[in-house]
This record gives sequence, C-alpha cells and structure tokens, in this order.
Amino acid sequence: MIRAGAAALRAWSRGRGWAALSTEPPAPPAAPEPRKEEPPVLRSCRVPVLSPLSPVQAWVGSLRHPEDTLRGLADLHPDVFAVSPRLDILHTVATWQRNYKRISHARVRTRAEVRGGGRKPWRQKGSGRARHGSTRSPLWRGGGIAHGPRGPTSYFYMVPMRVRVLGLKVALSVKLMQDELHVVDSLEMPSSDPRYLLELARARRWGHSVLLVDTNEFPENISAAVEGLKSITLIPALGLNVHSLLKHQTLVLTLDAVAFLEQRLLWHDTRYSPLVPFSLPHRDAPGAA
Amino acid sequence: MRHPRWPREGARRAPSMAAVRALRAAARRSPGLGPAGLRALWGRRKEGREVEADGAVPEKEKEERSEASLIRPPPRRRSYVPPQDLQSCLESHVREVFGPAVPEDWQQAPLQETRLKHRLLARLAAELGHAVPNSQLHRMRRAGDVLGFYRSPVKDGTEIDELVAAELPPNLKIIWQQ
Repeated sequence: MIRAGAAALRAWSRGRGWAALSTEPPAPPAAPEPRKEEPPVLRSCRVPVLSPLSPVQAWVGSLRHPEDTLRGLADLHPDVFAVSPRLDILHTVATWQRNYKRISHARVRTRAEVRGGGRKPWRQKGSGRARHGSTRSPLWRGGGIAHGPRGPTSYFYMVPMRVRVLGLKVALSVKLMQDELHVVDSLEMPSSDPRYLLELARARRWGHSVLLVDTNEFPENISAAVEGLKSITLIPALGLNVHSLLKHQTLVLTLDAVAFLEQRLLWHDTRYSPLVPFSLPHRDAPGAA
Repeated sequence: MRHPRWPREGARRAPSMAAVRALRAAARRSPGLGPAGLRALWGRRKEGREVEADGAVPEKEKEERSEASLIRPPPRRRSYVPPQDLQSCLESHVREVFGPAVPEDWQQAPLQETRLKHRLLARLAAELGHAVPNSQLHRMRRAGDVLGFYRSPVKDGTEIDELVAAELPPNLKIIWQQ
C-alpha cells in the first residue's frame, strides 16, 4: 500500500504522476556552475562626490548561483548610503507612514442620539431617589457616552518632503552599515523555482526576510518565484519606503536601482523650493526628462 | 399603583435555578471559550489554509525549520580563524595584483583604484573563505588595513554561548539549548 501525504496527493491529481508520491523531500534544482575569468563589474558614482567625502563600497553579486557573490565592486554615494544614523527621523517617517492613511471609524452615541430618554423619569423631590433628568444620561446604564470617539476621524498629516527623503537615506545607510544591504547586477535567475531562491538566501545567510528592488521591469523567473513566497518581496525602486526597509531584514538592490535612488534622492539636496506643487510637471525634476 | 422600580413588561428576568444548573453542566462538558476550545473549533481550518497558500515548502521542512529557529536562530556570520602564514600569503597576493607598481612597504600599497581593490579582495576571499563585508569595504584604503581585518577572528556564536562555556559562579545557571 502506498502512503501519500496531502501535498503528494494534490501533486498526483495535478498530473505529476508516480514521481509525486516519493517520500523524500525534493531537492532544489541545481544552478549552473559559475564561469571563470569574467571581467569584474565595476560601478562608479554618476553624481560627483565632493571632498572630503569618499564613496562607500559594496560587492556586486548575482542571483545566478548561490556562490556568485564577488562579481564586482560598486561605489555608492556617501550622501545617500553613509548618512549619520538619525533614528529619530526613522521613527518620524515610519510613524507617519502608519498614521497618515488612518481613518478611525469608531463612533458612539451621545446622550442626545441614544433612543429614548426625553422624559424626566421621576419627580425632582420627594421620591427618595437621586435626581435625574433623563434615562439616557452618561451616568445611567444604557445611556450615551460622554466623551467617546466621534468618528470617522482622520489622522492625516504630512511630514516635509526633505524629511521623508532623509528618512530613506538614513534607512539605506543603516542597512549598509549593518551588513544587510547587498548589490546585485540584475535579478536574473536560472529557474523560477521558489525553493532555489530560499536556498540561495539561506546559503548567503541573508536572514528571515528579503526585499528585492529593481527599476521598472522584472525578469519572469524572479516574479514567478517570489509569487509563492511570503518572506521575500519584490518591489520597484519607486515603491521603496522606510517601513518596508525596517520590516525586511535584508535589502538587495540592482545596479539600476542604485543609480535611480542616488539620482532621485540627491536631487533634493540642490533643488529650489517649489513655487508650484511637485505633482504638476516640472522641467528640472529628475524623472521628467 | 405600581412602584416605579417594578420591572417593565419587556424587562429581562434573572434565570431560574434549574436553568443555571443546566448551563453550568453544558459549560463543563464542552471545551468552552478558552484557547483550547477556540483551537478545537478553528484550528483545523487555519492549518488547511496555510498549507494551500504557501505550498512551495513541504510541511516537514517547515516544521523542522520553525522548531530549529525557535530554539536557536541560524548564525548570521561564518566563523573564521586567521591562518598562521597570513602575512606572507597577503604579501604574495599584493605583489601579484600590483605587479611592478608595489611601493617599498607593501602595506602602504593604496587601494584607491576599484579594479585593483576588487581583484585583491576577491582573491583573498576565495583563498581564505572569508570576504570583507560591505560595511568595512570603505575602510580598506591600504593593504595594511586589509591585513588588520584578516587578522581578527570571527565567531559565529553569540555572547550567550561564550557565557555558557565560561566558568560561572555556583549560583548562576544558564540554560541555552543547542
């Protein structure tokens, strides 16, 4: 008699056949061996670094093989990746991200809204009981609430744009200085199996959760692999935010994402104050051209 | 005349003694509203949903991994012990990478150029099995800094492991399962 677990039976019904009923745990697919003697991937900062600052650096690896971590060396701009660790700014921006979208719908009835309670329950004097004017006052059981929530209440507020930008810079710097930031040349993978990605993260000791960041388009393999996983998230560089950086243990950036972030975050250091909101088209904005 | 405190017609009355006894007996028999009762009611449904959602990892591996990480999380760093011939090994690599441009004191060889730096550090990482982490890369300005980095050993345990191994006073006990 063949004993099969629930997962194996589901695979059988999907048409995988006799191979699905094997009781050994399936091994993740092997990646191709790394090719030797490739030219190193070297990246320098496009935005000039003014002295006395000097660029910080990170290894450039790739996802093609678990051992392929030292493919090249990337220079990172110190005004983005080596800012002083302002934890108060991280707290400000993270709290803002949690609260500005919040609308609390809690609402309770006051003594005027509770049904009933228009008549004086007993006469003012002579009955021996305490004097009351209505059966729905806050003192009564079943009465209205005196100072309760009167929703919907909005907790919307805005933190200045430069503080939010600084929050991102501080978060990136903290990730780099705590050895939780890795740079990768691109997100190409040899297979779209989620187990390969988990095995890679485990072999490179990346931690419980990984945040992968790329600009615009993702290769098919990585999007298919990440779809089934809860601990690995894939986001475009526009969606990078302090809450996600703090929530995930490891951050993996592609070279394109690094260039994008440097350009966008450094623009705020030298821009004019807006005469017109930035949501309208500007000629000198970094994303405009 | 009716007393004003007399309960109105629709008011709730206190349950009779027989009803209270029946309720208590039923509560004793059923698991109740405690955590055990709720788990009995909802527990199986939740497990089914989780398995279907994250079907990538088989159940056995998931259980093992969660149990292992609860007892002791996997170490974030690989342990490294500097070899005996570290200085000579480093010197040979520096001379190989820099070629004729090595200055008098090889420890003063500058690593400003990214190409040379990458070549040297990648070779050392491949040979010694220990790479310079991203946070220390910007500190490696000369070959001497690299030598200083590779001289320091790295442990993959935590301070609690050291405490457990060290000599403790008789009234201090540390239980740290491995």
